[in-house]
Amino acid sequence: MLNLLDLKLGRDLRALKSQALAVALVMACGLAMMIMTRSLIQSLDDARANYYEKHRFAEVFAELKRAPESLRQQIAVLPGVAAVETGIEVSVTLDLPNLAVPASGLINAVPERRPVVLNQLYLRRGRLLEGAGTGEVLVSEAFAEANALGPGDEIAAILNGRRQELRVVGIVLAPQYVFEARPGSALPDNQTFGIFWMREQELAEAFNLQGAFNEVAVSLAPGASEPEVIAALDRLLKPYGGLGAYGRSEHPSDIRVDDEIRVLEGLSFGFPLVFLSVAAFMTHSVMSRQIALQREQIAILKAFGFANRTIAWHFIKFALVIVVVGTALGTAGGFALGRQLVDMYHLFFRFPVLAFEPATGAIVGSLVASSAAALLGVASAVRKVVRLSPAQAMRPEPPASFRPALAERLGLARYLAVSVRMALRNIERKPWQAGFTCVALAMATGILIIPNAFRDGVRHILDFQWDTVQRQTATVSLVEPGPLRAAHDFAQLPGVIHTEPFRTVLVEMAAGHRSRRLAMHGLVNQGDLNRVIGLDGRPLTVRGRGLIISEALGETLGIQPGDTVTIRVLQGKRREVTLPVGGFSQDFAGIASFMELGALNRLLGEGDQISGAFMSVAGGQWEAFLRALKETPQAAGVVIKDAMRQSFRQTTAESIGLIQVIYSTFATVVAFGIVYNSARIALSERSRELATLRVLGFSRSDVGRVLVGELVLLAAVALPLGLWLGSGMAGLLIASINTETVRLPLVLSSSNYAYATLVIVLATTLSAWVACRKLHQLDLVGALKAAE
Amino acid sequence: MAASPPPDPPLVVARDLTKTYGSGHAAVQALRGVDLDLPAGELVVLLGASGSGKSTLLNLIGGLDQPTHGELLYRGWDVAQADEAGLTAYRRDVVGFVFQFYNLIASLTARENIALITEVSRRPMSPDEALDLVGLTNRADHFPAQLSGGEQQRVAIARAIAKRPELLLCDEPTGALDVKTGMLVLEAIQRINRDIGTLTLVITHNAVLAEMADRVFTMSDGRLELARVNSHPRPVQELSW
Repeated sequence: MLNLLDLKLGRDLRALKSQALAVALVMACGLAMMIMTRSLIQSLDDARANYYEKHRFAEVFAELKRAPESLRQQIAVLPGVAAVETGIEVSVTLDLPNLAVPASGLINAVPERRPVVLNQLYLRRGRLLEGAGTGEVLVSEAFAEANALGPGDEIAAILNGRRQELRVVGIVLAPQYVFEARPGSALPDNQTFGIFWMREQELAEAFNLQGAFNEVAVSLAPGASEPEVIAALDRLLKPYGGLGAYGRSEHPSDIRVDDEIRVLEGLSFGFPLVFLSVAAFMTHSVMSRQIALQREQIAILKAFGFANRTIAWHFIKFALVIVVVGTALGTAGGFALGRQLVDMYHLFFRFPVLAFEPATGAIVGSLVASSAAALLGVASAVRKVVRLSPAQAMRPEPPASFRPALAERLGLARYLAVSVRMALRNIERKPWQAGFTCVALAMATGILIIPNAFRDGVRHILDFQWDTVQRQTATVSLVEPGPLRAAHDFAQLPGVIHTEPFRTVLVEMAAGHRSRRLAMHGLVNQGDLNRVIGLDGRPLTVRGRGLIISEALGETLGIQPGDTVTIRVLQGKRREVTLPVGGFSQDFAGIASFMELGALNRLLGEGDQISGAFMSVAGGQWEAFLRALKETPQAAGVVIKDAMRQSFRQTTAESIGLIQVIYSTFATVVAFGIVYNSARIALSERSRELATLRVLGFSRSDVGRVLVGELVLLAAVALPLGLWLGSGMAGLLIASINTETVRLPLVLSSSNYAYATLVIVLATTLSAWVACRKLHQLDLVGALKAAE
Repeated sequence: MAASPPPDPPLVVARDLTKTYGSGHAAVQALRGVDLDLPAGELVVLLGASGSGKSTLLNLIGGLDQPTHGELLYRGWDVAQADEAGLTAYRRDVVGFVFQFYNLIASLTARENIALITEVSRRPMSPDEALDLVGLTNRADHFPAQLSGGEQQRVAIARAIAKRPELLLCDEPTGALDVKTGMLVLEAIQRINRDIGTLTLVITHNAVLAEMADRVFTMSDGRLELARVNSHPRPVQELSW
């Protein structure tokens, strides 16, 4: 039932609507972020769990050179194995009529004589490969979308050196390719890399793999130990060129979904915490002022016999209304943004269904968190209400006690204008309030730093990756490791200025009990195209048996330069060697290791072999180069730097850009909210003083200076503090979301600082302007009548 | 009684001054056609009950508000027609205000409260001189919170007169003070009126104060009447209430 106190509450709120709204908006920003991120986590988690379960995503995976079909039975009876799926997966080069560059991909086999038990396909369009037939292919959705392919379209593939026309019959998804990128690449490039499926027999024939398989996936029996199954599988596959089995935690697609969820988890906590702390402070300052203004009314209510509890609850309700508005706005905002981001995730993660799922728990959580923030903010103000004795409150408050400010006591008085002296004394009289305002302003400055630090970090990676490290125009890889001569053949292609061969081999690197499977890159000594850059930003030279690993790998293995690691080659002669780590390289795309090409080849013992070559190509002959490359059968795949960069811009950069805009907008709202609120409180607290000055003949601008003096002073202190705080917060947040696959560097650019400063200066100026506009409404006569 | 010198034109002249708040049924007529001549140098007391319109008249004369109708001239300059900047300059240069609740700036000392005004005035006295006039030289460095009510009001008077205003407007200057303190404040007002020759208008509901005035007006229901002219105003010390 609406009682009269509630009626008063409604009117009080109406009178304070802009300030209440400012607090609610700050709260809403924090909550929107929390609800958005928590909902995204839930959406991804649920979509993944459903997908994996329905389409029976395996739990342990292994690639190998070649094993007979009969081995499947042996795998099936290994302890802990519930189901086995074996198959063929081979690299392929494609010729798409509308694509100037050659595309590449992986073709998987679809068994014809038995059902697929694990990693089952999801059909998006068209049909699966049913019954007999030839020349039919299923295409992954991401690649199909990027190249506008649909059922009925034709593509040309180079299968084991032979060109074959294939007809697309279906567009599909598979649980092992939720994140679809070229092996070893951190970034998707859906236009030039795709996943395909063909009938097993046809594929086996093309690659001479009849009655054999080269990849295994198994699911685990309840209670089975993953490491034991991995070890057993490794033992079994070793004679067949097993490349080392691994679990989901190392699965390149699953790990990316995990990483994304980890990033979201980092964001779902840090940002909202800052925003809600600021909202708590703002609630406190608004409520304290409101209670000070209503001193007499409170006294009258008490004198009329209203219980302390009733009055306290009345003011708590004031704060709770703000909470409800903030939560409603935050929920609506979180849902709207979450929906947009879910749509954006479609660029990276391919699920049959990725629906936005509102995290109801997060809404309840945010209601609790914002209530807690508001109650924290209102608590001390309400305590004042309870303590106020009616008789005391009826009397006008005595003038506030002041004393000369520290700067004056130090003898600087004559250098300070009166308005500055007033501001300084006011700050010293209420150090807590000034301190909180200052901290809140600093936080507002600080949270402006974070999103732009993300942006700058990404830019730095791009510049680093594509200008400092990769100076080649294109990277061409061979179908199979081949003789060094192949590099000379590539050098003959039109427009090629310079080539540098490389070798890539899968190894397991171990230090103590820690180990990682990864690609080891053999590079030419003092190469100029694909360089290894040290932590100091200078190129490192690979020579002798010196091993260079990325800092991320060093951390993962817990080693320092100078320590030794054991390297087990997972291919060929499977040699094992212990090498000292010569140095750490910068690699923002995660774990990596490098050696000199010759030394790596000696280690492998297979002669001078290469996996491909880096090339720089003259711009004028680019078209001719691409045409020739499309005709080169031994080229299995080509990565074109500019295409990669373009693709990155359209996908990752755009999504990071969107997130950055959202966060930056929120931070700006908060900055304005805090400054505006502070200005309004100052106006309210000092309206009598300001009216007096106006009566005494001071112009509006004179009085305006007195009003904003304190705010400007606090902003001047808060700004550098905020820049420092923001740098720290950005560092913490980036460290918390850095994963093994993506390592964002902390880049704090002067433009970032300039932007934060500009927003705060603008917010201060605008809020001051609004407050000064309110000086027009100052009731000169009224201010003289009232005692306070 | 000595022969009257040729009369100076009055400093403030009001003709048919009307002030209406609100409109329609809610309209309240605070002033109903007030005519008034205030010669320079006089101490004028305006008596009236609460709601009689005396504060409204004071606010109009002080340039805090503008009349709905009528003429209000200061030295022939029409205050009623002045714009915002003109009113601000008028308040800064011509008028000194003393309020019931002192309205000192709490964060400034007594001397600074006065200096605040003298810094923007054209021909001010020094803050210390003003404090001397109200007998508070020894309290110059105290903040308002460290002063008694009477002392605060005397600082307010010093602040009002430090710029040597031609017009000193006092709105219930003793309203918040006890008798003894109130007398100290009134003494200061009377002394300043005599020593500096400022036209002083005191509004009050305390009829006793009429004794100290050169001229006494009464106000009721928005209408003004000249009650009397004292040829020999009494010193404040002789008053009692």
